[in-house]
Amino acid sequence: MRKALVLALCVGLAARAAAQAGSSVSADAVVVTVGMTISTLRDLNFGTVIKGVPSTILPTAVNAGEWQVSGSANAFVIISFTLPTQLTNIQALPGSTMPIAFSALAAIWRRSTNNPVGGTVFNPALGSVGRFGPPANPTMYVWIGGTVAPAVAAKPGIYQGNVIVSLVYQ
Amino acid sequence: MMRTLAIAVTLALGTASLAAQGVMVAPHAVFIDHRLRSGSVLLYNPGTEPVEVAISTIFGYPTTDSTGRIMLDTLRRDSTVSALGWIQAFPRRLTVGPRERQTVRLLARPPAGLPDGEYWLRLVIAAQAGRVPITGVADTTAIQVGLTLEVRTIIGVNYRKGPVSTGVTLSQVTAQIVGDSLITRSKLERRGNAAFIGMIRETLVDSTGAVHAQRVGDSVVTTFASPIGVYIAMQPRLASAIPQPGLPRGRYWLRYEVVAEREDLDPMVVLKAPAVRDSVRLVVP
Repeated sequence: MRKALVLALCVGLAARAAAQAGSSVSADAVVVTVGMTISTLRDLNFGTVIKGVPSTILPTAVNAGEWQVSGSANAFVIISFTLPTQLTNIQALPGSTMPIAFSALAAIWRRSTNNPVGGTVFNPALGSVGRFGPPANPTMYVWIGGTVAPAVAAKPGIYQGNVIVSLVYQ
Repeated sequence: MMRTLAIAVTLALGTASLAAQGVMVAPHAVFIDHRLRSGSVLLYNPGTEPVEVAISTIFGYPTTDSTGRIMLDTLRRDSTVSALGWIQAFPRRLTVGPRERQTVRLLARPPAGLPDGEYWLRLVIAAQAGRVPITGVADTTAIQVGLTLEVRTIIGVNYRKGPVSTGVTLSQVTAQIVGDSLITRSKLERRGNAAFIGMIRETLVDSTGAVHAQRVGDSVVTTFASPIGVYIAMQPRLASAIPQPGLPRGRYWLRYEVVAEREDLDPMVVLKAPAVRDSVRLVVP
């Protein structure tokens, strides 16, 4: 067989086996090439911050945001971000926001190894081209940090926002 | 086949063992034949929580900026090679349950009299799992801050009508050693009426013809290979590292080759084209 995989077959088997334990399994195979999976391993969590005191999370920190990407061994993907500039207090009246910024060193990607130390640092506003690991471990990890600056008059509550990572396959 | 199957199982189930939330998208490139006018993409949720997925389409193709960085050009909305107006994806929104799979179907309604050739769009699969609660919210006087991470997988959709052909021209190949890195640039221009999908291969040899290894991430390779998609033209900048202790003084040649081969795609969809090659000299003083 060429490089095409009967990927859907094993995916379907796993799904149906879980759903129909003890019954017969019928699998309809669809021949596809290997897929790409992007998984959010950890959100970017600043926790509790103090009014008037900026708080920074480095991409190497344990509470940095993290994604795991699995795909074709050694393949390249374009990494780009859609970044917020304001976070919204979801417990206050509309208009209660907090600025957030991402430095030129706020993102890291690394192939195969789930450890940001030693990875490739890049500017999330510009993006980068990452690469999956070799056949033994065709994964890539992406981390992101940031800085929030709560105003002295910031209202208490939970401030939230979204960071979107886009991965473009060539 | 067993090896590739094992990799697929590892990919599908290995990620599920993590507390990860995401969705597998397969294949990562869709090719639609005009005679069939339809295609499909499989979504699989390896996680333990439902994943909400939104499907959209954009027009765009890989290109490079002035520094050689590969990027997706999405600005040419009125391009004559855009299939954005007549290929639709269904459904547009769906929820993929834990360990479930769902299919997104692509339906083409090309305009009458569409000339032979290849037409492009990009499929955007946006996935978001359940929002992770921020801990410690019991204190109503505190300020809690957290950001939810979303993921978007963007894959190419190529629609082919009638005879299609491709090729690439190679020019302006440059190579230099910067620190411990080998940096190359080249100019690639597509020929024919379809995108050139292939690989760039770089091999570094010394004056005796001996091959010198390059390091890419944690791997040491004798030939550096990079997948490439030349839709119009691009001038990619590629970088690999020279393993320690570096290159001895002397003259070297970089053999630069662009071939219409891709290991990650079905050979049936990779259009054949002649390989193009060039060599440039490097001097390590």
